[in-house]
Amino acid sequence: MDARIDDVVAARLAAEPDERARSRRQLLAWRLASIALFCAAWEFAGRIPINLAFPTFLETVEAFGEMLADGTMLRAYFITLQPLVIGVVLSGIIGVSAGVAMGLRKSVEWVGAPVFIVLQAAPVAALIPMVTFIYGIGMTAKVISVCLLALPVIVLNSYKAVANVNPSLLAMCRCFLGNRLQQIVKIILPDASPVIFAGLRLGISAGFIGIILAELLITPTGIGDLITYHRAVANYAHMYASIASIIVFSALTLTLLQWVEVTLFRPEKQR
Amino acid sequence: MSIQIRGFGRTLMAGCFALASFGLAEAALAAGKMHIAFGDIATVETLNFEIAIARAKERGVDVEVTYFKSEDVASQAVVGGQADIGVGTPYALIQKVKAPIRMFYQMSNLRFYPIVNTEFYKDWKDLDGQEIAVHARGSGTEAIMMLMAQKHGIKYSNVSYVPGSEVRAGALLQGNVKASIVDSTNRNLVMEKAPGKFAVLPMEGVNATDEALYANTEYLAKEADAVEILVEELLKTTREINANPGVVAELRKKYGLLADLPADLEGEMVPYYEESVAAKVFPLNGGSEAAVKDDFGFYALAGQLEGDPAALKVEDFWTFDPLNKAVAVVGAN
Repeated sequence: MDARIDDVVAARLAAEPDERARSRRQLLAWRLASIALFCAAWEFAGRIPINLAFPTFLETVEAFGEMLADGTMLRAYFITLQPLVIGVVLSGIIGVSAGVAMGLRKSVEWVGAPVFIVLQAAPVAALIPMVTFIYGIGMTAKVISVCLLALPVIVLNSYKAVANVNPSLLAMCRCFLGNRLQQIVKIILPDASPVIFAGLRLGISAGFIGIILAELLITPTGIGDLITYHRAVANYAHMYASIASIIVFSALTLTLLQWVEVTLFRPEKQR
Repeated sequence: MSIQIRGFGRTLMAGCFALASFGLAEAALAAGKMHIAFGDIATVETLNFEIAIARAKERGVDVEVTYFKSEDVASQAVVGGQADIGVGTPYALIQKVKAPIRMFYQMSNLRFYPIVNTEFYKDWKDLDGQEIAVHARGSGTEAIMMLMAQKHGIKYSNVSYVPGSEVRAGALLQGNVKASIVDSTNRNLVMEKAPGKFAVLPMEGVNATDEALYANTEYLAKEADAVEILVEELLKTTREINANPGVVAELRKKYGLLADLPADLEGEMVPYYEESVAAKVFPLNGGSEAAVKDDFGFYALAGQLEGDPAALKVEDFWTFDPLNKAVAVVGAN
């Protein structure tokens, strides 16, 4: 009897990887079908057309290929990514440090929380033109725009993650006579890391919004310049290709970050 | 179950009726009102246009003006059918998208002023190998600077794009930019704030439309009478202002336009029109084939138009029917 149960359990365990692989294949197939449906709907809408200025999906892909081949797309990304990377890295370092400090110390929380809560609720697009009055029209203004969008979400996520650490784990640490540093390093930060990472992902996403707003509202450079220029000269397929490319790039960056998070810090999620 | 189906049927019918009513209301709205999409905000510089609109209203044309953030957005409103008439120069839109729209009245000529910081540059030759700032890629300001570079045989090291004359004027004053091009209001501002520090470079041979009225060809045919009245009033107002720029202040009061204009800007109103008239900004006859051919050359240089400018046909971009009818009424000048 026991041997039969063991056989069944063993068979089930052996079948699990196959099932997971099948499930992953199904999920991928559904996702690809969803993308294909979206592209088909776009092509259809362009062929009707819903608006004379709305290009078909294939025209947009062709325009993207053209801009990739002549190097304009890569040059635009090189320009756009500079303030974006600087802004996101600064927001990541300052944001996580400030958020953790706010979660750990009441005095820091009182000073910092209201500022970041207001900033998160504020329509930041309205503030970006004001940035030019203080920081001019150069790289600094664009980095500040990225930080304005990315920082509040990173700070508040880190702060809430630390403030809501499981109290049982803290109690356990105290029972084992763990000091404050050990509490922070061994309990608080590991327990808060999933929410901190979620904040970083949201921060990067907000950073993309910030840089495109800055490139459209401050000075048209990089991808913002491609969008503005092609709209001005009525090259709508190129304009849509530029917009679609930054959306896809942003989505791929976030997916990559999630993969890095799961691979390096969340082994339990890999199963 | 059958009750549910009947209930659903009634809801569906009510929905269809509501949609049909909405559609009819939309159609009625379109037929009764002339919707104008203006790609800028109402300022002293748009008073000539607003006076003409006020006069067209007096003659029974129900005009509604919507102000948009930019000319591109305003042109999309016309292409999409939300507006009947647009203001701008949609050459690229007509050529590349083959939108069935035509320009029909030239309201103003392009006038910008190249300004340099005299500490570094004195004339066009000094700009050889130097950096300049213009509004945007493909803009009129870039085309002017390129045209002047061609004429003087110079080449800029780099062209920066800084949208907004007021932003470029600020950058000139702060010293971030040493050579740029701005509109007349900001040229005056720069000269007043830093007397002697800046110089306006001479600019000759730049003839291009800044603002023209355009509409869907179907609308122009359907509402020919209303369009003709508007063009007549634009012609009459332009000629009055050309004869006496000071009349703008009187007409503004008469029609109650820009009621919340600050007092300091009120003082700039007549000088602006005096200067514009002297610079021949407002064409007396609302446009001509020759002016359109000048536009072809200029906007091809700006990157808005493709192909050989000499091979482009005026009738593919403009219709002169409303203007000819209006000129026949008010007389040629």
